[in-house]
Amino acid sequence: MVDMTQLLQSLVNGVGVGLIYGLVGIGFCVIYNASGIVNFAQGVFVMLGGMVCHTLLTRLGLPIYLAAILTIPIVALSGILIEIAVVRPMWNRGAALFAIILATLATQLMIERITILTLGDQPRSFDEFTSGGPLKIGDIAIGYQIFWILGCGALMVGLLWLFFTRTTAGRALRACSQNREAAALLGIPVSRMLMLSFALSAALGAVAGILVTPTQVTAYNVGTPFGVNGFIAAIIGGFGSAAGALAGGVLLGVLQAVAIVMFGAGFKNVAALSVLLLVLFIFPAGIFAGLQGGKAH
Amino acid sequence: MAAETTPLLEAQDLSAFYGRVHALKPTSLTVGEGELVTVLGPNGAGKTTMLRAMTRLTPASGRIFFKGRDITALATHDRARAGIIMVQEGRGLFGQMTVHENLTLGAYTMDASETVEERIASVFTLFPRLKERYEQIASSLSGGEQQMLAIGRALMAKPKLLMLDEPSLGLAPRVASEILETLGQLNRQGLGILLVEQKAPLALRLAKRVYILSLGGIVAELPANEIKSHHDLSRYYLH
Ligand SMILES: Nc1ncnc2c1ncn2[C@@H]1O[C@H](COP(=O)(O)OP(=O)(O)OP(=O)(O)O)[C@@H](O)[C@H]1O
Ligand SMILES: [Mg+2]
Repeated sequence: MVDMTQLLQSLVNGVGVGLIYGLVGIGFCVIYNASGIVNFAQGVFVMLGGMVCHTLLTRLGLPIYLAAILTIPIVALSGILIEIAVVRPMWNRGAALFAIILATLATQLMIERITILTLGDQPRSFDEFTSGGPLKIGDIAIGYQIFWILGCGALMVGLLWLFFTRTTAGRALRACSQNREAAALLGIPVSRMLMLSFALSAALGAVAGILVTPTQVTAYNVGTPFGVNGFIAAIIGGFGSAAGALAGGVLLGVLQAVAIVMFGAGFKNVAALSVLLLVLFIFPAGIFAGLQGGKAH
Repeated sequence: MAAETTPLLEAQDLSAFYGRVHALKPTSLTVGEGELVTVLGPNGAGKTTMLRAMTRLTPASGRIFFKGRDITALATHDRARAGIIMVQEGRGLFGQMTVHENLTLGAYTMDASETVEERIASVFTLFPRLKERYEQIASSLSGGEQQMLAIGRALMAKPKLLMLDEPSLGLAPRVASEILETLGQLNRQGLGILLVEQKAPLALRLAKRVYILSLGGIVAELPANEIKSHHDLSRYYLH
């Protein structure tokens, strides 16, 4: 018999990590919508978020808030570098999308190697932003970090919404996602918008990495699992809206947590991939697009 | 004798391929300041390809000058910034955005001389029907309204040359003539227009000069009023 407390506890943890998947998933959507590219180096931004923040904390002795805020532009810069060094040369030569996508995968491996060479291969972590947890409700322990994840997740979605609906750059990015040719004909520099989407997406990954590290560890190789789960979250959400990806992430996180409790830790990825396949069978355009009867993008 | 002035647009030997298909054979064309020029040609003649070459949506060889300046090396968005705005075949609207958002995006290259809202207001005087559809999603507009939005959005950029690819395609004759009348009005205010149509007695009434495009190349250039006296051409393009 599954212990009820244990189940509830895992639900709480699942929501936390699921929101992180959701943020990574939004990062996938931002680049995909602007360009049609699925950036498989997305998980690397999560890894860099944790690693850079840890480095700023330990080597420069910065307080967590400062380290976190500095980490975001640094990782965003790495996104810009990937766009300039890897994606743009191929894009400008009219390379097939799948070739560009493969190149992003190669980039992930390269960045992981560089991380080992510069920062080492040891896992590391840092303290929760607010000490003193966890909060106890009956036998269920809720770490304070999950509130940070919830708050920052909501903040990111809110900021993204403002950006995409209220700013010229945000509107232009949406225009590119709907009709790149028409956007270019109006004077929108589509390739610069692509760079912006990489910066934005990297910043989102960084936020996810900074938020999640206190609840687990970060190391050069955490990018792949976050990338894969974020990708699944985005697909469940229909690769369209930020809210869809976030909801997809939470659904995934919770299902994984429940699968671990019911069947053991080995079933975490089985659960994730089963959910993915099931969703794709029933709603080929993603659950949330499917429920609205809308298109994937 | 009038002095030879620099044309607004001058395309020299534009030529484009799709793979091994030579869709646009070396084609030269000019549009004068404030002139309305019509290009006529049947399906598959290469009209769209020619406009795509001029905006560099499709790579092409040849040279292109705008107000005397060589813009051959400019990318699509920089040609727009220079003042060449094209309304695509099929209108190229941002279908999931509102009328208002589409118009706002049209002002992307705008300088600060006017506010976006002021300019939207002047588009609404030109196309009052758009005003009633302000918050409506572009893809839910009727065909005529979509074409009005596409033209209105292009005007938001204050173009010096407006190029239109079959704006009357798929529209009821009355709506099409309404839209062409508006183009004539804009032209009388000094806007240079390159109007591409398949057959268009209306477009011919507006234009002074016509190019005939056929099988990927320009086969004739003549004053619009001569088409009527030209037996074969009038039979094909006026009815
Ligand atoms: N993307 C493409 N790939 C290959 N061939 C193309 C492509 N686009 C156009 N073509 C070919 O190039 C030729 C010119 O096409 P284009 O679209 O320029 O003609 P058009 O005059 O605009 O015709 P319509 O009046 O039907 O719009 C046609 O033979 C067409 O089949
Ligand atoms: Mg055409």
